[in-house]
Amino acid sequence: MDSERLSTTFVELADTLVADFDVLDFLHLLATRCTQLLDVSAAGVLLADPAGHLRVMAASSEQVRLLELFQLQNDQGPCLDCYHTGRPVHVTDLAAVEARWPRFTTQAREHGYGAVMALPMRLRDDVIGAMNLFSSAPGLDDADIQVAQALADVATIGILQHRAQHQSDTVVTQLQTALNSRVLIEQAKGVVAERLRMTMDEAFTALRAHARGNHRHLSELAQAVVTGTEDVTALSERLPRRGSSD
Amino acid sequence: MADGPPSRDGLRLWAMVAAHAADRGGRVSVADACAVAASAARVSGAGLTMMTRTDSGRVVCVTDDVSARVEELQVTLGEGPCVDAYASRAPVLTSDLRGQQALRRWPAFAPAAKEAGAAAVFAFPLQMGAVRLGVMDLYHREPRSLGSGELRDALVLADTATMLLLGGETGSDDFLGDASSGLLSEREGYRAEIDQAMGMVSVQLGVNVDVAFLRLRAYAYAEDRSLTDVCRDVVARRLRFAADSDAEARGDDGRAPGVGE
Repeated sequence: MDSERLSTTFVELADTLVADFDVLDFLHLLATRCTQLLDVSAAGVLLADPAGHLRVMAASSEQVRLLELFQLQNDQGPCLDCYHTGRPVHVTDLAAVEARWPRFTTQAREHGYGAVMALPMRLRDDVIGAMNLFSSAPGLDDADIQVAQALADVATIGILQHRAQHQSDTVVTQLQTALNSRVLIEQAKGVVAERLRMTMDEAFTALRAHARGNHRHLSELAQAVVTGTEDVTALSERLPRRGSSD
Repeated sequence: MADGPPSRDGLRLWAMVAAHAADRGGRVSVADACAVAASAARVSGAGLTMMTRTDSGRVVCVTDDVSARVEELQVTLGEGPCVDAYASRAPVLTSDLRGQQALRRWPAFAPAAKEAGAAAVFAFPLQMGAVRLGVMDLYHREPRSLGSGELRDALVLADTATMLLLGGETGSDDFLGDASSGLLSEREGYRAEIDQAMGMVSVQLGVNVDVAFLRLRAYAYAEDRSLTDVCRDVVARRLRFAADSDAEARGDDGRAPGVGE
């Protein structure tokens, strides 16, 4: 692992936490950085809603988001086990655990993944969610796992920090607000995808690039897009090429 | 886990809402969600007001006289936890209306609500992304705060009320009653596709996302398909809604679909 890049990332994440920030944008940045720092091809961050169901909050790609949803839909997979037990779940070879999660392993392997690491996002005694890292077998080594858990902890800190800034009464209400922002962003992706004839991934990239380029919060921009107060065509102007760093 | 397997929470509460409706001998409505919210959170009462950005609000249901007064005061005075929860899109939890903080924030509402018999008010916005429908308020006679389990229950029931309000306006209530819990759980899995489809259909029809949601639901109902299925077709661009007819199936237009490749 590139230690300089690692420290740069932690500085970058810490900087974000100091300023007023958008929690979903932050979680997305974290998921993206995971794929760049660690030997993983995809990352997802899931949080529990008040009813106790996990929801995908950020994913490094639409493909991994769908894979996460697939776990939730079928109520099986390392992510759910990690969330329910509060312990990391490390699968070094998906082919070897077919009996445990038959549907999940089939899907994950079809997408080209051979290993999965699920890390709990812990807040004192509570587990508020989980971070998942998908890679080729045999997955992460011990040093990578330590960094990954540190990143999962940073994600938790980000949520707490956001709550402190916004004087939200509790973690539960803060999470609920973040979950609603997630819904809002999906609605905005739909609007942008339809209007600009983009894929969902492209629509998200466009939304995010526009928010960053104009120093606006992603959720606030999404709100304006969905309620029709934003000129959506302006979003096509600042589009980076696909596959750029974030 | 501090509080056991949490995924049962939603089901437990939805079952309570359905049981409450059955006791009343009616279909599941927001009134049931309010009543269950009050009992689950162990507070004195609950009320629900529908709001829009332009008008001050319409009280939809209340569990007793005090909650009726709490709702009415906020609508009349244009201030209070409910008004703030709507504006900020976040819950507003006030454990003691007699405190200086509450008085400074709501100089007219705080003393009037206290006079009416409410010492604590907890307001939860009813929303689904950009869709904002109103607020559910819980009140208690004595000052108190909500425990985390109570708060969680209240949030789940506010979501339940949101879904019931959205469904209730379709005009066909057959799929509400018993099916409401099914709809709620259906949203858990592929809910992002539902949200994305709402955005896409709002553009296709030139309507707000809440109207787009109603059209999607009405279509799913008419076609006897699940909402999730219909939404996945919309997102994959296999189904398109046209302004002049309900919906038209459309083949692949040669473009890669947004998901699933």
